[in-house]
Amino acid sequence: MRRRSSEDRAIGDFVDRVLSRPGSRREFMKKAAGLAAAGGAAALPGCGGPAGEEVMLKWKEYFKGNYRLMTRKEKDETVRRLERLAKLQDGVDVQVSTRPEWKQVLFGYGFNITRCEGFMECVSACVRENNLDRISKTQYVRIFEMEHGQMNVALGDGKFFHEVPVEGHFYMGVQCFHCESAPCIKACPTKATWREPDGIVVVDYDWCIGCRYCMAACPYWGRRFNWNEPSVPKDEVTRKQHYLGNRKRTRGVVEKCTFCIQRTREGKLPACADACPTGARVFGNLLDPESEIRYVLKNKKVFRMKEELGTDPKFWFFID
Amino acid sequence: MKRLALSVTLCAVALTCGCRPEAGHESGVGAVIREAAEPVDSAEAAAVVQMDLPAAVLSEVQGPGGRFRVAARKGEMERFRCSGCHKGKTVGISGAAGTAHDDIALRHGEDQGRLGCATCHHEKERDFLVGADEEKIDFDHSYQLCGTCHFRQQKDWAGGAHGKRVTYWAGTRIVKNCTSCHNPHSPRFARRWPATFSPPLDEVR
Ligand code: HEC
Ligand code: HEC
Ligand code: HEC
Ligand code: HEC
Repeated sequence: MRRRSSEDRAIGDFVDRVLSRPGSRREFMKKAAGLAAAGGAAALPGCGGPAGEEVMLKWKEYFKGNYRLMTRKEKDETVRRLERLAKLQDGVDVQVSTRPEWKQVLFGYGFNITRCEGFMECVSACVRENNLDRISKTQYVRIFEMEHGQMNVALGDGKFFHEVPVEGHFYMGVQCFHCESAPCIKACPTKATWREPDGIVVVDYDWCIGCRYCMAACPYWGRRFNWNEPSVPKDEVTRKQHYLGNRKRTRGVVEKCTFCIQRTREGKLPACADACPTGARVFGNLLDPESEIRYVLKNKKVFRMKEELGTDPKFWFFID
Repeated sequence: MKRLALSVTLCAVALTCGCRPEAGHESGVGAVIREAAEPVDSAEAAAVVQMDLPAAVLSEVQGPGGRFRVAARKGEMERFRCSGCHKGKTVGISGAAGTAHDDIALRHGEDQGRLGCATCHHEKERDFLVGADEEKIDFDHSYQLCGTCHFRQQKDWAGGAHGKRVTYWAGTRIVKNCTSCHNPHSPRFARRWPATFSPPLDEVR
């Protein structure tokens, strides 16, 4: 039912041994396989009433493939299930998109450290747009308050809360840099994270087993782990979603900034760039010499964080 | 001042870590970027999605892709049209400037000699701003006024390194006007409390 290469299977077995924990998806799969062998569909609950429907939908969700291997039809089906589940479980009407990349687009980001004033509106906007867990206060974007003369974010203050900007300081935003040569992708044992053709590094939340190898591999602290079941107040849920973006996540999976794939593939700026009151955030198509990001790369002093690691991030800091 | 301090820091970083503060390496994304020299027309792709565009005017200056669009201002101004009150030379109600525009306090370029209202507002054609040669400037094109004194910022703004686009990265390029962000009478951003805060790093991980 799940298409996996032999390599995948070998890795899968290894992961099984190392990581199988009670109640995990994989554990469930094993049991389910056993049941299916023993009694076939008898294990499936009847379809009477919404509770039955919910179980049936979840059951089908468990057996779907990796997003990258799905056919158009399978994508449409899982989207329909996810939308229905959101309605049944949370009472919200969501639209889950699977819009692919645009042709001739490679996304890149610029961050003007002369301009940012530490207002943190990017962070709030990101939390809302991406349906980030309110309980553990998950944030994809962090802003560090730095003293002039230092450039190491580890020495900056990442939890400031006072009137900004503070004299003698500047502000530096850090989030997933969508590296072209991303160490997180290489670290993933289940191929649950990959680089899309438009350069966005994404996670298939249903394929992630929560081993957090990617988090250890990321030199930029770009990834977040769901220790608890994420929770968003019903009236604050962003309904326009993308399969690889802000759709519902569960406990035990890794997530991160997706350059707001649900917005950027609709031609919009990511929520952080859109919300920024100072214009410190520049976003656009690296393949278009007439784009703002290309103007920045050509005309400004730019640098990338930990350039020497060779991760090749598509996120440049600059001053004017 | 801030700019200078950051330049110094940046040079120090470039020297210590041996990385060049340029667009990229010989390989990797830097090479991809250098090879991409032809403009990409996103209009076709953008046509697939529905765009909700704000009122905007065609710029009188050039950006990297030629003229672009600038968010209109007149619809945002509470007291436009000015000529509703300013018909003659003076409105003629003594002491009324205080009440009519008492919200306007000029804090702009104070160190270099005060700017007066007439530095920017046309004294005869009240519905317009005034350029260096007494020419009329429409309020929607106020970036032209600002540009007479802030040429560097205007250039960066037209290029895309100062200011920002409105809502979309694709399709028609529409950018915010200078006065969408800066109050022309007091252009410096006010200090304020941040919108939120972050928990300590180790607690989240
Ligand atoms: C509700 C009526 C009203 C409107 C609308 C109005 N003004 Fe005024 N304005 C006044 C009054 C009254 C004064 C007092 C001084 C005077 O007698 O001219 C004044 C004074 C001024 C002055 C300083 C004194 C001078 O005459 O140069 C400026 C500059 C000015 N207004 C600009 C504007 C501009 C620009 C607009 C449109 C955006 C505008 N006003 C719209 C009523 C108005
Ligand atoms: C640096 C140039 C500059 C100076 C100096 C200046 N103004 Fe203005 N003023 C502007 C611009 C530009 C706008 C349009 C703002 C916008 O786009 O919202 C404006 C708008 C206004 C408005 C309309 C505001 C509204 O929202 O309806 C009034 C009234 C006004 N100015 C009065 C004055 C008065 C009175 C003075 C002198 C005390 C003055 N201005 C000095 C540039 C200037
Ligand atoms: C007649 C010349 C003139 C015009 C026109 C003008 N400015 Fe200025 N502006 C100045 C001067 C002088 C300063 C002070 C510069 C300095 O201290 O280096 C200044 C400072 C500023 C600052 C920095 C403020 C600060 O306190 O750090 C901003 C922002 C600014 N202007 C924005 C604008 C905008 C937006 C416009 C158009 C609406 C505009 N200016 C039009 C002369 C002008
Ligand atoms: C997206 C908002 C935005 C727009 C649009 C914008 N600016 Fe600014 N500008 C800023 C911010 C933020 C600063 C830093 C402000 C501060 O420290 O008070 C700044 C600073 C400035 C300064 C001070 C000198 C410097 O470079 O720091 C000038 C002058 C200035 N802007 C002029 C302009 C002009 C002229 C335009 C239009 C052509 C414009 N700005 C458009 C956000 C904007």
